[in-house]
Amino acid sequence: MVLAMTICLAALCCVLSVFLSWRYIQKTYAAIDTIFDSILAQKAGLSFETELDSRLSKLTHKAIKIVQMNSADVVQLGQEKQTIQSLLSDMSHQMKTPLSSISMYIDLLLEGNLSSGEQREFFTRIKAGTEKLGWLMDSLIKMSRLEVGAIELAPVPAGIKQTISDSISMVLAAAAKKNISIQAEPFMDTPLLHDRKWTVEAMANVLENAVKYSEANSKICISVEALPLYTKINFTDHGVGIAPEEWNSIFKRFYRGKNVKMTDGAGLGLYLASLILEKQGGYILVDSEPNKDTTFSMFLQNCKK
Amino acid sequence: MVRALDGVNLTVETGEFVAVVGQSGSGKSTLLHMLGGLDQPTSGYVVVEGHELNGMSDEQLTIFRRRNIGFVFQNYNLVPILNVYENIVLPIELDGNTIDTDFVSEIVNTLGLDGKRGNFPNELSGGQQQRVAIARALATKPSILLADEPTGNLDSKTSQDVLGVLKLTSTQFHQTIIMITHNEQIAQLADRIIHIEDGKMIREGCGRR
Repeated sequence: MVLAMTICLAALCCVLSVFLSWRYIQKTYAAIDTIFDSILAQKAGLSFETELDSRLSKLTHKAIKIVQMNSADVVQLGQEKQTIQSLLSDMSHQMKTPLSSISMYIDLLLEGNLSSGEQREFFTRIKAGTEKLGWLMDSLIKMSRLEVGAIELAPVPAGIKQTISDSISMVLAAAAKKNISIQAEPFMDTPLLHDRKWTVEAMANVLENAVKYSEANSKICISVEALPLYTKINFTDHGVGIAPEEWNSIFKRFYRGKNVKMTDGAGLGLYLASLILEKQGGYILVDSEPNKDTTFSMFLQNCKK
Repeated sequence: MVRALDGVNLTVETGEFVAVVGQSGSGKSTLLHMLGGLDQPTSGYVVVEGHELNGMSDEQLTIFRRRNIGFVFQNYNLVPILNVYENIVLPIELDGNTIDTDFVSEIVNTLGLDGKRGNFPNELSGGQQQRVAIARALATKPSILLADEPTGNLDSKTSQDVLGVLKLTSTQFHQTIIMITHNEQIAQLADRIIHIEDGKMIREGCGRR
């Protein structure tokens, strides 16, 4: 009798637990189904509690992350498209001014009735205009390649001394014209992770500015300092300088400093320099006291030991 | 009553690197604490990735922080009896998740901590300890990384090093970062700079882009 009752009870327990497990599985599948449905529908708002210490809450949290990552990708694509559009419109705008002045001088020359002095003057201006256009084209091509990601920088361990001296040689003639001396403090040549060709470009842009905005007969100093992860390369000049309010703006595309509007330039050099540094995991900072000194510091990654 | 923050209206996009600049006592830390669910506003609301923080219980907030927020503090807050690697993966283990070893290795490598995995916090320099704290904050793939004066205890050279790493993090991992600092030079690398004074946003300057 007792035996029969025990068997009955055990059987009942079995049936009950099977039934409960079945219900639990059904519920869990339904919940997972709902989560997948909302992923498919790209909806981040799920009805489950996400701030609970349960398996379902964790799952929900991860599903929401997937949806958000997807939408972030879409937003990023949209932004890239916008960058390209604004780049195109900026480009055409920058080209317009030199082009229209060239065509104006050509018209004047075609009309005739000019003294030979005037003719010479106009030809020189046309020459300057075409030079500017050529230079602008050059920068724009570089910029669009970097910006759209058409070329990838290849940072490899390479001695920094050669890179620095290559960049100095690019501005030597301009510096000599103003009798500006470029001096590098002695330093140990260390291999740094960088793409030499592009880094030379970035450094030359900073040095060109230093030469352009410094008085004749002044000095430009280069120094190298090792930090634990990065190596810092300082370029110090004693030119017009940059007010702290403008420290961030000067790295923007086509931005010209307020105190240098009269000097020729397109506002691309520093923008390119910061882009080049960023593309290889480095960065650039500025520190300046107007009319006293200005230091641009480039940070390149040390080689991992 | 002192208003630590008054009428602040701020939206941060995914992947953005924002610097909040202000003197001590300006309310910038309060702002960060509210974004991270450490403080509740008396009025107004905070929404992070669709989670409305107002009205959450303490337990819910704890879980929310664990899954969504990475904190980096001025004084590192590493666990002294755990080594570097154990410190980094601690928050992952706390939430009962399996460790994505590839991802953790990538972080460790990016932050230059490869040779230091087995070291204990007291064997590291300040800059290294802060890098461990950043790695720990990143390990859970948080929605936001909140950094409160991350370079406050570091000399200017080491600060620049740690700053570079933060910048690298924001670009390489598309990590949303909100960083508090009183130092304009440190703020330079952010995508956006917000100036805060007496609890009010006084100026919103764009960063480099």
